[in-house]
Amino acid sequence: MITVEGLEKRYGDVHAVRGVDFAVDRGEVFGLVGPNGAGKTSTLKMLAGLVEPTAGSATVNGYDSQDPEMRRTLGFLPEESPLYEEMTPRSYLRFFADLYDVSRDDANDRIERTLDRLDLDARDRPVGDFSKGMKRKVAIARSLVNDPDVLIYDEPASGLDPLTTNTVVEFTRELAEQGKTVLFSAHDLYHVESVCDRVAIVSDGEIAAQGTLEAIREDYGRIEYRVFTSVPVLDATPRGDRYEVTVDGMDGVERVRDAAADAGGEIVDVRTRESTLEDVFLDVTGRGEA
Amino acid sequence: MNARRVLRIARWEVGKNTGSIDRRTAAILVGVLVLLAAVAPVLVAANPSPGQGIYRVGVAADDPYYPAVERNPQLRAVEPDAGMVTSGDAELRIEGTRVYVGTSSKAQAALAELRSAVVSYNDYLMRHEPDDAAAFPVSVTLQYLEQDTGTTGGTDTGDGGTGGGAGTTVADGGDGGTSTDGDSGETTPAGSDGGGTDGSTSDGGGGVPALPGGAFGGTQSGTPSSLNPPFPLRSLVLAFAFLLPLNVLIQAYGSSVIDERINRRGEPMLVSPASRGDIVLGKTLPYLVVAAAVTAVIAFAVGGGLPSVLAVLPLAGLFLAATFLGAMLARSYKELTFVTVFVSVPLMAYAFVPAVFTNVHPIAAISPLSIVVQDLEGSRIGVGEFLFATLPVALAAVVCFALGSGVYREEDMFTQRPIPSKVMDALAAPLKNRRRVALWTALFVPFAFIAELFCIAALFVVPESLALPVLLTAIAVVEEAAKSLHVRAGFLRGKFESTRSAALAVGALSGVGFFVGEKLTLITQLVGLPGLELGRAAFGPSVGANPLVVVGFLFAPLLLHTVTASVSALGASRSRRTYLGGFVLAVLLHVGYNLTVVTSLA
Amino acid sequence: MRERLVVARRELGSLRSEKTIVLALLIQLFIAAFSSFLVVGLVSLYSPNASQGNYVVSVGVAGNASDDLAPVVDADDKRRAVVYGTESAATRAFTNAEVDALLVATKYPNGRVRVSAYAPEGSFRTTLVVVQLKDALSAYERQQRDHLSSRLTKKPLDLPPESSGSPYYGFTYTILVPLLMFLPAFISGSVVADTLSEELERGTFELLRVTPLSIPEIVDGKAFAMVALAPAQAALWLAFLAYNGVRVDHPVSMLVLVTGMAAVLVGGGAALALRLGERRDTQLVYSFGAIAVFGLASLLPESPQNVVAKLAVGSPTSLTYPTVAAVAVAAIGAYALARRTAAGMT
Repeated sequence: MITVEGLEKRYGDVHAVRGVDFAVDRGEVFGLVGPNGAGKTSTLKMLAGLVEPTAGSATVNGYDSQDPEMRRTLGFLPEESPLYEEMTPRSYLRFFADLYDVSRDDANDRIERTLDRLDLDARDRPVGDFSKGMKRKVAIARSLVNDPDVLIYDEPASGLDPLTTNTVVEFTRELAEQGKTVLFSAHDLYHVESVCDRVAIVSDGEIAAQGTLEAIREDYGRIEYRVFTSVPVLDATPRGDRYEVTVDGMDGVERVRDAAADAGGEIVDVRTRESTLEDVFLDVTGRGEA
Repeated sequence: MNARRVLRIARWEVGKNTGSIDRRTAAILVGVLVLLAAVAPVLVAANPSPGQGIYRVGVAADDPYYPAVERNPQLRAVEPDAGMVTSGDAELRIEGTRVYVGTSSKAQAALAELRSAVVSYNDYLMRHEPDDAAAFPVSVTLQYLEQDTGTTGGTDTGDGGTGGGAGTTVADGGDGGTSTDGDSGETTPAGSDGGGTDGSTSDGGGGVPALPGGAFGGTQSGTPSSLNPPFPLRSLVLAFAFLLPLNVLIQAYGSSVIDERINRRGEPMLVSPASRGDIVLGKTLPYLVVAAAVTAVIAFAVGGGLPSVLAVLPLAGLFLAATFLGAMLARSYKELTFVTVFVSVPLMAYAFVPAVFTNVHPIAAISPLSIVVQDLEGSRIGVGEFLFATLPVALAAVVCFALGSGVYREEDMFTQRPIPSKVMDALAAPLKNRRRVALWTALFVPFAFIAELFCIAALFVVPESLALPVLLTAIAVVEEAAKSLHVRAGFLRGKFESTRSAALAVGALSGVGFFVGEKLTLITQLVGLPGLELGRAAFGPSVGANPLVVVGFLFAPLLLHTVTASVSALGASRSRRTYLGGFVLAVLLHVGYNLTVVTSLA
Repeated sequence: MRERLVVARRELGSLRSEKTIVLALLIQLFIAAFSSFLVVGLVSLYSPNASQGNYVVSVGVAGNASDDLAPVVDADDKRRAVVYGTESAATRAFTNAEVDALLVATKYPNGRVRVSAYAPEGSFRTTLVVVQLKDALSAYERQQRDHLSSRLTKKPLDLPPESSGSPYYGFTYTILVPLLMFLPAFISGSVVADTLSEELERGTFELLRVTPLSIPEIVDGKAFAMVALAPAQAALWLAFLAYNGVRVDHPVSMLVLVTGMAAVLVGGGAALALRLGERRDTQLVYSFGAIAVFGLASLLPESPQNVVAKLAVGSPTSLTYPTVAAVAVAAIGAYALARRTAAGMT
């Protein structure tokens, strides 16, 4: 559904995207994860046809990404949901429905259903009065007004309260279940973990790791052990009447045992902890501790 | 472009403006307008003079000159006192029939004002005389007739010339007012009326056969003091009447365009199937329509017809286009205000400075407002001169819209880059390949044309010996800029490789583009601008000379333009410093060429 | 107070970084130069002294009153009379451009003289010629009135001597100087309206609100910057004019007036921006409002523009300084309005 080959973008001296390759299959939910400034937004904008790549190519739904025809089948959500503040949700959505050549009846129907699903009530008040969450919902509704096959969302859940975030996350899952292809970016890893089939970790304009979550965890993750001791050792954190230390691998556990013994104590409990995506993320992007 | 989408966006634009004026704004606006409507007639009735009471004149209340002083708003009568003029307490002192004048320039200006006050007072006295023939013993009828000053071609000599002139009826018996319209419309004798494509070799300023619009009109009759030299005050009033409402319109338009760039509001529309052209045209259409409607209303109100409306429309288009470009480049509302004013003031000047000379001098032909003046006078307007006045303006408008649309994209709309950098973006955006360079150079020719015409208009009151070299240099600078600025932008933004061969190729193409575009100036031949010395210097010799010379003169400019454009392109391909160097060199070459041509023709 | 200055400094700094103040100065320079050009052009079209130079207008005279008329034409050294015996000879001479103008004067028994005057068409000399014709015919009219004075009940006044001064004096001091004084004030008000509505629209206003400053203080800072800018520019213009030989009297009083006008416009502009919130609406109302303010002010016995003219030439009246004071009062009123609007926003 989406293929990306060697995509690059240069803004003057800044090399924002340095050659990115990945593919998204039909009906898949694909997440682009990375720190701020990694090049996620630029990549998504190139795919949406907003920005011309400096090099490389991308196809969306069979069209070249720069082809204006492609946009009919695309739903795009930019960061921060910019809207025309003086319009009401209904008039705003109807305007965009007209731009996408959607018939009046289909449009009205779709608009009402989407706003119902997103739980948005104030449909005839100017959008400028809305909270951030409500604005985001309107923007999401706009991205669906043409019933697109492909959705490209740039940080759809950023800055939202937990309840609204949940709504958005659930919604993304539903879209995929309807057979739509969803590509979105986030640095809120909760969203990514609960919804994505596959993920690409972007760092400094390149893809550092991509694949299914399990695969990534396997390739890049580590098993960590939370070891509980009776006496403080190493850099343990006090937890009630025990002390907790997190270490990698069995040799780490053995070190703790020796240290505890030296201090006159012992290991009380050991629990394993699988790396979360966050850990992988921090590792792979080099932001965490080695 | 999709017509349906354009109209949908236009509808949205209209809805945005009308729907969103909230009650508070409307209330305040209506209040202000009501206030203005109340104040205006009071002002007109009171007619305050700008220089009210600035000159102090010591004159006794029983002095015969006292009423004359009182009637003139600029003179202020004060109690006379022997030493007041020398001490500087007054500019003039009147004692009986003697006038004591101070030495300052202010006193001299007061004296001139006093003189004209006495003249008008005398007329006032005489109007109350029973014996009309003695009070106004002289009555004048003034007409303008062609003189035969041309040496070759043009009008025939002898009575044929005056035959037509004497054929105009003498509008006798009018009252003291001047009539500057009225019985115009009769055609002048042979040789005039747009047919003057011959090589009129008359000296600058005298009897240009091909005066646009034919008859001068403007016969006046009355007393000597009611005579008015041909000053089309009308043109100025017209300019303000037509163009001031446009200023309000472009404020609203500029705001609307820049609003798309704030907080990235316009981004979703960029992703929609609506193309850039759809969006720009859709947003602009309502304003174009309003401009046309307002222009039509004003034209009708001042007594004009369709030609007036058609003449002003391209100007309105250029206002909008320049505002659009400005709104795409400005980084904040402040900048937009300044850019808007910065654009509208020269445009207004372009519109009415030449029009001041309507009916006096062919230089007026460059302004669309001259067409309006002629329309109001009922003169016949030739197609050639209509095109001459409106085509460059219309083309310039199209180019501005094209440039602005070029940066109507995600990369440029939402960034905070300074204006010079954005200008380079806008210039470089359309240059997808080398051929485009030639096309765009040709498109810039109308701008060069307008700038050159403006230089001519501005310099033409200056004595020729000084004006000519200054003008030639100005022309060279304008043309070299038109040929090289976008080339520089192209190199700067990496559209072309910075090699010598690429620079030479691009420069040559630019020169060719300019040469081709410049041939459009052949239209000037239709209007008689070559009759003007400066015009000839600016736009090249008229056709009709020695054929060998003609061929030479046809290809010499081509050579000039390609060479100079290549020189500046070579400089442009490297750094800013080399570009400036190349530019200066190109200008020098150009000036040298111009001087050679002008002197060899003389 | 210190914080207000911080806001003010930021305003001035942003103007400088955007180099927009350069644009403002250029615009004013352009307007001044352009209006001067216009006036020089216009005056030269009208005034015989101004740009005729050494050119002598030759006037052909014919008709039965030509004996009377010709000497009057000749009297001034800027023109020269050529008498013709017959009208057709004179006409031919005019058509062949042997003379610049033609006067055919016919005297009637009742003493009236009918003159048919002909000037060349479509020539730059036309205006010069017509001016000289008017001059000559006016002098002739005076002479004829004098001859016929026995039939008049009142004698016309003798004319004072001709002036040797510059014809541009009036324009310079009554139009150009006031224009240069008031443009900065107008622009200041417009800019304040812009900056406030921009901050409101972009949402950066909130950032300022979070600081210890209150909204009225923020507005103070911005307004202060823009009000101060107006007399600064006006002073610059005065210096520029002085350098070009145009000296003005009472510069300090004029600058006080300018500051007052600027305060009125800035206060009004700020109040509008805060009230309306949207830039487009604000600018629209401000433009009309500023015109209304100037219009209203012109109804005063001495309008601000007239006050500037009188101060500049050095003939203030007893009304002049009170008018300046009245503007200062209006300025305080406008400032209070802006502050109240600002306070109403918290």
